[in-house]
Amino acid sequence: MSDPQLQEKVIEALKTVQDPDLHKNIVSLGFVKNMELDGGKVKFDVELTTPACPVKEQLKSECETKVGAIEGVESVEVNMTAVVRPTQHSQPILTGVKNIIAVASGKGGVGKSTVSTNLAIALSLTGAKVGLMDADIYGPSIPQMMGIPITSPKVAEENKFYPHEKYGLKVVSAAFLTKQGQPLMLRGPMLGGIIQQFLQNVEWGELDYLVIDLPPGTGDVQLTLTQKAPISGAVVVTTPQEVSLIDADKGVKMFQQVKVPLLGIVENMSYFVCDGCDKKHTIFKEGGGQSLADDFKIPLLGKVPIVPGVVEGGDSGVPIVMGDAESPASKAYKELAGQVAAQLSINQTKDDKIDAGFELAWKS
Amino acid sequence: MTTPAPKNIKQIDETTLGITWNDGRECVYPVKWLRENCPCAHCIDEWTGKKLIQPGSIPDTIRPLNIKAVGLYAIQFFWNDGHDTGLYTHELLRQLCQSEECEPEKKAANAQ
Repeated sequence: MSDPQLQEKVIEALKTVQDPDLHKNIVSLGFVKNMELDGGKVKFDVELTTPACPVKEQLKSECETKVGAIEGVESVEVNMTAVVRPTQHSQPILTGVKNIIAVASGKGGVGKSTVSTNLAIALSLTGAKVGLMDADIYGPSIPQMMGIPITSPKVAEENKFYPHEKYGLKVVSAAFLTKQGQPLMLRGPMLGGIIQQFLQNVEWGELDYLVIDLPPGTGDVQLTLTQKAPISGAVVVTTPQEVSLIDADKGVKMFQQVKVPLLGIVENMSYFVCDGCDKKHTIFKEGGGQSLADDFKIPLLGKVPIVPGVVEGGDSGVPIVMGDAESPASKAYKELAGQVAAQLSINQTKDDKIDAGFELAWKS
Repeated sequence: MTTPAPKNIKQIDETTLGITWNDGRECVYPVKWLRENCPCAHCIDEWTGKKLIQPGSIPDTIRPLNIKAVGLYAIQFFWNDGHDTGLYTHELLRQLCQSEECEPEKKAANAQ
């Protein structure tokens, strides 16, 4: 059989491989690239929308099986690659940043910073370029969790500065703008000013994902960010119990009001795994995150267990996904990263997006 | 439910703004009417909701100079009287629509 005929058969077979999130086959999505045929040897790339794709292995083996079953094919080599697609926006800030993920909660103490840090690292472990912005101006805890000593940021040209770097992440935090242990005492309008600086004056470079760790609540920082930053999607963190859910509910409604797409809910401190018996103990009740997600018809992106390693990791500056890859919490964070990336890719395919960069000069 | 979003915002004539929404609705707005209904804290008392703009105080010569999106949920007008603090949410703009097509919907909303 000549190559063009075989190539056609291979493509026909690949048209039956569906991306389960985007609900289209990988050929019409344009994922199949660089196909080479050498006799019966078939080689091609599958270029996904994110290296954190949760179904990467499943898609790969489906491609191998289906192409391998074609008569005349001797061997199949599938190379999985990824180019993160940008969420379209035309605002003049954060131009090198493809996707901005806001991590929020209604209530404090649910583990937003821990989730943000581990989510950011889990995304970067897949090969993506990731930044982490600590937008909790009054209580910045990202430097501690990342193990970054408090030093002034390196100054760049034109009033800009460089983010700190650790574990392959680029990090900014208000903690770097003060002396160690000194509180930042500011009134509301100043908060907006600092956030503006983080958006406009930081040399982020090229990023696939920028994770923003928001302060708790629905106040100045949240408003400034939703007005000034082209946020691609928001993740709301809650713990399973009722008092936390009431506030998380408000967090979700805030994003709905300002029309920031909700990627979903993360249930933190979901359960405790006892080291002796592997049994899941649901200390703070069960099913809270799921019921919140159901109420708003948004996905429950993940359930992260309470394990001592999470706290130790946060305090020692080696987040658990870096320090203990086999921990159930690390696995939960990696799954979460996959889900967040998948939801962003799904949102990008929707066509009723709002143009945040709209501007109209009136003619008279 | 989230409110519809503008698909296209355009100048219809010297004193009229038009918005086509993503649910297909076509809305028209005399610009003076928009200025008179500015939702900012200078124009509406934040606690009581009382209108602070004196009736008849906005001149017929009022025009926007520039119109910009604010985040994904609102629009900001920069007026030729120097005022620019009002953020008109999509929801508010639906209520302010002056086209006849929108009357039944607004009556229904007011009756609730």
